[in-house]
Amino acid sequence: MPDGSKREMELDGVRIEDILRSLGVNPVEVIVAKNGKIVSEEEQASYADELKIVRIVHGG
Amino acid sequence: MLNQAERERYARQIRLFGEDGQEKLKKSSVFVAGAGGLGSVVSIYMAAAGFGRIRIVDCDSVELSNLNRQVLHGSDDVGRRKARSAEEMLQGINPEIDVDAIVGTIDEDSLDRLLQGCDLIMDAMDNFPTRYLLNRAALQRKIPLFHGAICGFQGQATTIIPGKSACLRCIFPRAPPAATFPALGSTCGVIGSVQVTEAVKYVLGSGELLTDRLMLWDGLNSCMDEVACVRDSSCRDCCNKYNVETNNMWNNVETE
Repeated sequence: MPDGSKREMELDGVRIEDILRSLGVNPVEVIVAKNGKIVSEEEQASYADELKIVRIVHGG
Repeated sequence: MLNQAERERYARQIRLFGEDGQEKLKKSSVFVAGAGGLGSVVSIYMAAAGFGRIRIVDCDSVELSNLNRQVLHGSDDVGRRKARSAEEMLQGINPEIDVDAIVGTIDEDSLDRLLQGCDLIMDAMDNFPTRYLLNRAALQRKIPLFHGAICGFQGQATTIIPGKSACLRCIFPRAPPAATFPALGSTCGVIGSVQVTEAVKYVLGSGELLTDRLMLWDGLNSCMDEVACVRDSSCRDCCNKYNVETNNMWNNVETE
């Protein structure tokens, strides 16, 4: 999760965008790495996958 | 050739990468986009390291609320143009280099002119729309872009080598919502230092660049992490041959 916490979810072929929304995360504000690699939120994830939700920072 | 003062000034770097390496830095011209928190760290370390020519551009004036992180500027600079105080600070740190400090806005109309003669682009902006302009300009000119961004204790960095690595748009297909961001100077220090290290390595041809990887700094948990990125074959910035190679680099540009 963007705050550094971890969640375990029972998933089977769920779109990452839907996962984000179920967690209350706005997909526009984050990028998601599936098993260490950035993927589109159109991709699906299952129980065995590890997702890292990264909040995009934009300041300088 | 380095003069005697330069040999002394850069003695510890010459131990690291030799006079040849130092001369490569001296021959490099860098564009630093912004003289804020990241721009301060980036430009100060690049000046100290001996990058031969630094062009730094910012349109703002120094405010008191900038001073917690924007170490280019001091209390006496409040109200002055950031470009002016940046010029004085950088030239004071290293009179051997050329500093070209410009009061100006980085936009579609100005960027082509601002980048003339520059070999590297340092992203020290505070918004994604301008970062996308820098990304496209880097792709069009085939020069590297060193991305950095911060928010509070968090930061991110990546290196973009046109034609070889994922570009900024591949990694961030759309801009996050604009918002006033909290900022800690030391976070700028971490991320800006990574950007400069990358630029040094690029010029020297040393080490493993931060390409196709997004480095993530979580200062609150003292954790450095990275995620892999790949070129997006449908990326509208780097995989659209027409847009990248056309002379009209702003054709069909969408910055948001």
